[in-house]
Amino acid sequence: MRTKLAVAAVVLAVFPWFLHDYGLQVAIQALVLGVFAMSFNLLFRNTGLLSFGHAACFGAAGYTTALLVSKLRWSFAATLPLALVAAALVALVIGFFSVRLTKIYFTMLTLAFSQMLWAVAHKWYGFTGGDNGITGLLPPGLLGNPKGLYYASLVALVLVSGIIYIVRRSPAGYTLRAVRDNPARAEAIGISAFEYMVAAFVLSGTLSGLAGFLHVAWQHSAFPDLLYWTTSAEVIIAVILGGSAEFFGPAIGAVVLVVLEAVVRSHTQYWPLALGMVLLAMVLFFPSGVISLFQRRQREEVPRAAA
Amino acid sequence: MTGLASAASLFLLAVGLSLIFGALGIVNFAHGSFFALGAYFLFALTRGDAAGFWHYLPVAVAASLVVGAVVERVFMRRVLNRAEHYQILLTYALLLIIEDVSKICFGADYKSIGMPKGFEMPVFVLGIPFPSYYLGLVGLAAAAALLLWLFLHRTRYGTLVRAVAQDREMLEALGVNVPLLFTVIFALGIGLAGFGGAVSLPLQSISTGVAVDAVISAFIVVVVGGLGSIWGTLLGAILIGEIQAFGALVLPEFSIAFTYVLMAAVLLFRPWGLLGRPPAVRT
Repeated sequence: MRTKLAVAAVVLAVFPWFLHDYGLQVAIQALVLGVFAMSFNLLFRNTGLLSFGHAACFGAAGYTTALLVSKLRWSFAATLPLALVAAALVALVIGFFSVRLTKIYFTMLTLAFSQMLWAVAHKWYGFTGGDNGITGLLPPGLLGNPKGLYYASLVALVLVSGIIYIVRRSPAGYTLRAVRDNPARAEAIGISAFEYMVAAFVLSGTLSGLAGFLHVAWQHSAFPDLLYWTTSAEVIIAVILGGSAEFFGPAIGAVVLVVLEAVVRSHTQYWPLALGMVLLAMVLFFPSGVISLFQRRQREEVPRAAA
Repeated sequence: MTGLASAASLFLLAVGLSLIFGALGIVNFAHGSFFALGAYFLFALTRGDAAGFWHYLPVAVAASLVVGAVVERVFMRRVLNRAEHYQILLTYALLLIIEDVSKICFGADYKSIGMPKGFEMPVFVLGIPFPSYYLGLVGLAAAAALLLWLFLHRTRYGTLVRAVAQDREMLEALGVNVPLLFTVIFALGIGLAGFGGAVSLPLQSISTGVAVDAVISAFIVVVVGGLGSIWGTLLGAILIGEIQAFGALVLPEFSIAFTYVLMAAVLLFRPWGLLGRPPAVRT
């Protein structure tokens, strides 16, 4: 595992010097979605909760950056702390209400909250620009340079992976999985399932905010689409496509998804059709994600909601 | 009036979703796509000419029923007992595929159709002209609701449909062909969505992207009314239809946001919906 990681790190570090401009853009997109997917999986893997509200955290951070830069002329990098705070707050509100519900009701409530934010961003022309979005945000310095942004995203991915690794191995991580596997029993031995799940939601949402910030730096704009439910669907696809049970599965899924999209789109306009086919094949034939195609041993099963 | 007409359309869209969730436990993200598909079928059959509306409507609905039955047999069946994120991904995959296939088959431009025969003239309510087809649509939706209620509560097979939502294993033990029942329910739900799409075509044009918005509206309606409850879906559709119609007049900027606030509030205080039944304790 160590040698594999070291090889991957070296490859990722020298990678941009061998890419032309378009390739570099694709690589940045993959890294940003990778950060988002890893953050999403922190919640999904450890609590079994399938959130359709992560677009809200992603978009809240993105819009915070876009608004501060366009309205108050803040420098781009200086908006990062506030963007993360915004994502954390949104996650706190959504998580606080939503984790009381289970299964599909949880998913529906997170969906409702994030659609609420979308509806406001979409219609409030005076403040968010409505569906015209906020455009022309050119980050100066490091973040404005494609190579610089690539390395910033790579650092973000390493950072997020490190945090998730620490959380997974901490007592809190074990507690979370205890709650996931048997909430009644966890409560019986004195664990507050509610507090742990809200905390996981907030951490996961905050890290998703980092991806939202990077996304705006990469796109130089923010649109209501960031908050729409299809953004949440995309990250879920990346996570499951890669394999949610593997540590780096979500990041790998993000890379596969983004590269596949770039390749398909260069040949045909029917990318959704191709993605639909891939998803069908995945659900029916390799449900543990692409990563499972390259390894024989089966790791621990994905938590399955009780039927 | 506008609110009632859109409520009728929403009801037809959402009731199938509710029915399918109640019985199969599957949240169908492709439901809006089948709604759009019904409209596309009707448009293709009539070639955009309103004269063939009544003639081809049953054909479009029959086509939707067949599509529903085939999709259930080929795909849904295989994820019935899997974790729900697989069900969501599968139906999302269907959404993407149907979206692009209908773009290939029918083109990406806006499609609409004139008022069907018998409803060409406007009616006047309080001196304001409304398309008389508003009444036609409400009537069709009410008829569908009534027929569905009669089917579910007054026929033997309808009783089985309600029973399977409560205890599938017991029904299997009693010798009922549950897989066939699931196919019938799914086809019925999709047929209703296709019917809804087809009869809504004179009032709202159809194009790519409709499906993605429609399925979310359907979610709001069934969540507000109660997943699995027909009368709840009816109530939800009327509430949401009217909120959107009045909101568009009073506070156009936030009427959409308000429907989501309502959805969240219902989920928080009555997760089983306004007219739904609290889930029985299951072991």
